[in-house]
Amino acid sequence: MGLDMVHDIQRAYRKLLAAMSKPGAIEKISNEAAKVDMDIHFYPATLILMLMLLDSEVSFHIVGEEQQMITSLIHQLTYSSHSPLEEADYIFVLSGAKEAEGQKAIKAAKEGNLVDPHASATLIFEVEELSKSNGLMMKGPGIEERDCIGVAVFENWVEEREMRNSQYPMGIDIILVDRASRIVGLPRTTQLSRGVV
Amino acid sequence: MKIAYNYAFFDEGSKREIRRATLKAIAIPGYQVPFASREMPIARGWGTGGLQLTLSLIGKSDVLKVIDQGSDESVNAVSIKRLIQATTDVAITDETKEATLLQSRHRIPEVPLQENQILVLQVPIPEPLRWIEASEYATKRLHADREYSGAWLMLFEQIMKHGHISTGADHPVEINDRYVMAPSPIPRFDNPKLHMSKALILLGAGREKKIYAVPPYTKVVSLAFEDYPFEPEDFSDKVCRLCGSKGVYMDELVDEAGIAYYQCNDASYCLQALNQSDKQTEVMG
Repeated sequence: MGLDMVHDIQRAYRKLLAAMSKPGAIEKISNEAAKVDMDIHFYPATLILMLMLLDSEVSFHIVGEEQQMITSLIHQLTYSSHSPLEEADYIFVLSGAKEAEGQKAIKAAKEGNLVDPHASATLIFEVEELSKSNGLMMKGPGIEERDCIGVAVFENWVEEREMRNSQYPMGIDIILVDRASRIVGLPRTTQLSRGVV
Repeated sequence: MKIAYNYAFFDEGSKREIRRATLKAIAIPGYQVPFASREMPIARGWGTGGLQLTLSLIGKSDVLKVIDQGSDESVNAVSIKRLIQATTDVAITDETKEATLLQSRHRIPEVPLQENQILVLQVPIPEPLRWIEASEYATKRLHADREYSGAWLMLFEQIMKHGHISTGADHPVEINDRYVMAPSPIPRFDNPKLHMSKALILLGAGREKKIYAVPPYTKVVSLAFEDYPFEPEDFSDKVCRLCGSKGVYMDELVDEAGIAYYQCNDASYCLQALNQSDKQTEVMG
């Protein structure tokens, strides 16, 4: 693989860090994603995130088509172990996933507890496109006043997510990845609302 | 460059673990995320938490600045810079505005930080309730319940004893209306810089094995009472003996005659101010 496991992953990590600390900002990891020369049936940017985050110390779960094949590939690449949706540290909802599956992932992901709120899941959603138009309104840490993000995950995902994050500091963190390797971070502190920006 | 270590000293597995903890820390501002804290070639308590964060972040295009109590040239700062440079070969700077990555012990630089910068603070004791409660098991539950009477009581007792809040450094703050957090032993003077900071601030405690974060544009309030408001150290009537700056954090020094004089604590800021005034004198001839 032309991908440099030290430097390309480091560059992508800094982009993800920027995305997570400024939820309104759209970051791009297309330079790194372009170096993925494996025949994978999901976004190359998602693979970058898998290589960045997964190893034998954490567990993951794949939601989408070809679940078994991709699960075994990721296990071989990262040594991370597959676990049920309710227990997984990282949940990848791939672009082929059905709406109901995405909904189930948000509902079932672990949210940690009050003593250990970090023992919660991070969900990575593959979406069509991330943009600044037709946005959802955003508020929270990392956003100066308010910002917006244009994205379609599935119907009601904003409400489902809000329900899971209603008992802050418990909650779920989300990373959105689009076809063009753009990424947006949605930590549990970000409040999303539909409406006029 | 030929080096016997992996890039940035750590193996990739160690970096991954720190990176995962860092991302969680940003998602829960002020919450202390436990991490494995590797053995480092410097002793715990000498900035290993900050160093580990820096090594997990750093890449070829970074420009690094390391300060210790405002100085770029103290032993601790120099040792850390040498280790990082020996394993990464990144560019080093003294100038705050040129740095992309800043590691600091006990100060936030005078020059305001920008959005493209990351500040890493070294933390000796990350638990603001440690003085009141020795057990980690217990303090974790106090945070869970948002039970911060202990922190308030500490400030109250100081007022009873001294007539004013007497925290010299590490004055506790509340972040994002939820967690009470130790800002690391920065002077009270620097506390307001945490509020709505443009730069991401990461805090690492190597000995205590904790990472926590102040994301940019996040509400940070220093704990205080209505009738005893929070007061940063006041240097408004002091002037730096070297560069003539006002309104910055000063060190108080005593000369041989026993008379106190003041000097900028942030050495690179002082030097910059000196160079600036030199240029102006040249122009004026």
